[in-house]
Amino acid sequence: MGYFEGFGVTLKQWGVGTTTKEYRGGRTNRQGEINPKDQKAPKPERVHGRHVLNRYEDGMEKCIGCELCAGVCPANCIYVRGKDNPVEDPKSPGERYGYVYEINYLRCIHCDLCVEACPTQAITETKLFEFSFTNRQDAIYTKDELLVGDDGKPQNLPWEDWRPGEDEHTSGWMRATSSSGKASFLGTTNWNGELGYGVRPSELPQDEKDASVTLAAAEHDHSDHDHSDHDHSDHGGH
Amino acid sequence: MTATENPESASPETNPGVPFTLNGVEFHANDGELLIDAAKRHGVHIPHFCYHPRMTPVGMCRMCLVEVDTGRGAGLQPSCMLPVTPNMKVNTESEPTTKAQDGVLELLLINHPLDCPVCDKGGECPLQDNAYAFGPGESRFVEEKRHYEKPIPISDLVYLDRERCILCDRCTRFASEVAGDPLIHFIGRGAQTEVNTFPEHEFSSYFSGNTVQICPVGALTAKPYRFAARPWDLSETESTSMVDSTGARVALHSSQDRLVRIQGVDSDATNWGWLSDKERFIYEATDSPERLTEPLVRDGSGDAVPTRWNNAVKQVVEALARPSDPRRIGVIGGARLTLESQYAWAKLLKGLGAVDNIDAQLGDGLPAELVLGLPKATIDSACQPGGVVVLLGPDLKEELPTLYLRLRHAIQFDGVSLVEISPRVTSFGDTVAARLNPLPGATGQIAKALADGMVGTSIGRSSAEELSAAHKLLISDRPVTVILGRGNLAESTDIIASAVASLRRANPNAKFLTALRRGNVHGALEMGLTPGYLPGAQPLSAAVDGWDMAPRSRGLDTAGILKSAVNGTLDTLVLLGADPLTDFPDSKLAAAAFERVGTVISVDTFMTASTGRADVVLPAAMFGEVDGTFLNLEGRISPVQAKVTSPGQTRADWMIAAEVAAAAGGDLGFTTLAELRSDIAANVPGFSDVHWDRTGHGADGPVITGIRSWEPTLTETAPIPPADDYGLRLVVDRKLWDNGTMTLAAASLKGQVGDAVMSVSPADLARLRIPSGNEASVAVGGGDARTVVVMSDPRVPVGAAHVPFHLNGVDASDFLVTGQPVIDIRIQAL
Repeated sequence: MGYFEGFGVTLKQWGVGTTTKEYRGGRTNRQGEINPKDQKAPKPERVHGRHVLNRYEDGMEKCIGCELCAGVCPANCIYVRGKDNPVEDPKSPGERYGYVYEINYLRCIHCDLCVEACPTQAITETKLFEFSFTNRQDAIYTKDELLVGDDGKPQNLPWEDWRPGEDEHTSGWMRATSSSGKASFLGTTNWNGELGYGVRPSELPQDEKDASVTLAAAEHDHSDHDHSDHDHSDHGGH
Repeated sequence: MTATENPESASPETNPGVPFTLNGVEFHANDGELLIDAAKRHGVHIPHFCYHPRMTPVGMCRMCLVEVDTGRGAGLQPSCMLPVTPNMKVNTESEPTTKAQDGVLELLLINHPLDCPVCDKGGECPLQDNAYAFGPGESRFVEEKRHYEKPIPISDLVYLDRERCILCDRCTRFASEVAGDPLIHFIGRGAQTEVNTFPEHEFSSYFSGNTVQICPVGALTAKPYRFAARPWDLSETESTSMVDSTGARVALHSSQDRLVRIQGVDSDATNWGWLSDKERFIYEATDSPERLTEPLVRDGSGDAVPTRWNNAVKQVVEALARPSDPRRIGVIGGARLTLESQYAWAKLLKGLGAVDNIDAQLGDGLPAELVLGLPKATIDSACQPGGVVVLLGPDLKEELPTLYLRLRHAIQFDGVSLVEISPRVTSFGDTVAARLNPLPGATGQIAKALADGMVGTSIGRSSAEELSAAHKLLISDRPVTVILGRGNLAESTDIIASAVASLRRANPNAKFLTALRRGNVHGALEMGLTPGYLPGAQPLSAAVDGWDMAPRSRGLDTAGILKSAVNGTLDTLVLLGADPLTDFPDSKLAAAAFERVGTVISVDTFMTASTGRADVVLPAAMFGEVDGTFLNLEGRISPVQAKVTSPGQTRADWMIAAEVAAAAGGDLGFTTLAELRSDIAANVPGFSDVHWDRTGHGADGPVITGIRSWEPTLTETAPIPPADDYGLRLVVDRKLWDNGTMTLAAASLKGQVGDAVMSVSPADLARLRIPSGNEASVAVGGGDARTVVVMSDPRVPVGAAHVPFHLNGVDASDFLVTGQPVIDIRIQAL
């Protein structure tokens, strides 16, 4: 009996058609019309997506090639090599710059520890999660691909699905307090200027934020707050 | 540490030592032991910056302040300056101690730039570590920090970043106290104090890299390692340096399968943690684009073209099988190889092929009888307090720099007296107890006079005072060690051997250290890569059990092999990492030999001049890429370990030997390193119970005291060629930085090689009426005259002319002729 039951599954699928469809970026259907239903799902405010390498307002790279991101990365997906800054054409302020910077997105788990570790706020994460590749080479983002363009915005690579406005939130909004983590600096921006945006305003202090949201959301935020406090006391030794 | 500070030697039963209380627990310190050392020995770490166990304490940094009560109430004292006294009460965790540590760190960090992310030291920095572990966490200093120009090169190899410096005095102390090159010093006062070089004098010390390693902050960084990797992506293996025969212990650091750094490891027996810059930066050669990575054979049109291993090995077998007589095969080299590879090649050539024309020395060493047969000293026994060292050889600073540091320390701090019998004044300078600088040819005569006690009158330019001082030291009941080397390539080894005979007659208890410079040359001689010996320094008549055959008669040395090639009686020449065209002193002979020789096979790591003339080239893996063993000049076994993958199709030398044997239808009897080691243990006297895998941190391997059933036959009757009044006796010796294959392959070291000039004593120069620094015409015998820059140098004895070998500019080999006991040159003003 079991022998024929197996065929039953096959027969049930007969003529149903495939469910796997080509991803068309959600923008147009086959007729070239925008499908109003095919929108990206809303993401939480602090979702971690594809990285960018930021630049200072004068266009200099923030990355100094210190490899702290690579050192902290639990997935071993970052490869950085530093080099002496060319004197006549410095890439970054100071002695050293990152001349190789690669992230392998087949390995990256978007934990954001690289962002935490970065001493110059060079690496931050965008909210972009809609990028897929058909070969390994595309999955390894090089420094040229990660570095923001001359407008300070992330580069839109052919296999990435950027929607209007999504490339705005790539950095400074993510942390409310100073990098030293001192509570007295709460709400005081400690971000250095950024190409295309200047000095971004920091997030609202946690308590002001808490007051402006609902009870349920406040509950959620509170646990976040506890966590970040703990984090900061760890870093308070600097 | 010296033996007296060794924990094992101070067991409480035999010597209770000095009782003291450390954090409430009673311990015993050794007599005179510093508090910081005693605490460390008992498991209590006292943070420090300036203190270094191998240097005199200075108490500069104040980081090691601890609360000490000697009965007059507790107070803070620097533990690196304080010997433990009986019943001293020490507290390293008390409130005053931690407050002092907080304060010192806050002070040190006031002007420290905290640019840790771009600093090479970041991640392995004592300042970073101590700041985290003992620091206050916050600074109250909000003012602008001190600023200096970011790194300034103080030499070709070292950068100085004065902003990061905490003025601990380690580098400056090292330069003046250990290396004897006081070229960096403190400048300025108070907050403006900085370390720097003297105006117009760079920090050109052979030991400059050590200051980088001992700097407790990132103030001194090495140019070759600059930004190459971060400490956390380095992986480390302990190995033994194969740059010279001292066998310094090193740690190889690699990142991404590339060697990026070598650090010295503190080995009691050998290098005490110090390295010469050559040992430290030579790793760059492994990565050189000049590396040979695939087998090459010469095709019909005469070009060396890449081929497969099978084909290359087949051609090697053919070239080795073609000669009708094994005496028509010559083999030069082998000092680059590990002990195991040396044995494998010796077994292949002597045990399967009965070839005895094998020499690991290139005519610039010592007779194998002396190296293998003289009673051996160790570095420790030579440097023991109160000893006497007779230097019958070269300037050790140029040839064996780490041995020089050990000996220098022994002279300065342990009362060792040095008798210098060198062809010119060495870097030991005025620290010697007696200085005899015999003219080339007179070395044996001087030694004979010392043995006979004929020291009442001066001999040549050696005064009666110096001679009698040397005589007294030589026959004293203090332990006497003779450091024997080749101080002059233009003086025949017969003269050195006759001097050795005299010294042995004068003091039969004297022990010897053979200061040969070339890598694992002692291993090569021990393994039989020298004519007339089988492994374990056994004569050819002794049978090696595991071997099929042995050579019937004693073969030729390198000079003999080259002459045989010139005479057309050599069909095949095998080069085991040797470059006779540039390294053999008499380059004219080598060039003529290469014109006439049949087939040349080269097993090498780089495309050298000689390898460029080879018909078959087999690419070998080199230091850092192979596992093996090193035998240093004491006969000490120490492991050599692979850290990175060897490039391309390169193979370990012993694998190549096994491959050739198999292709020839023979069998060496081993296919793994373990089997090869068992073969050595079974067949070579002295190696039966060697622990090959002795790789503990800083663990010193055992000294192999081979069983010698023979004594070197020495006579004191070497020819003493008379010096004429017009000529000058030629002295040719070696500098640390020369145009050696490895030095040229290391990008940062290439530029260190200087120009050779001829140095003559001021008196001779005045007599010749040539102003110092001018060009003059120099000729040997009736040969062609060459134009050479002649400098005045008081370190050269009157009647001699000195020129270093294998540098840029003057080619010393132009003047060297094989087979002459000494060489006289004529200098004339142009």
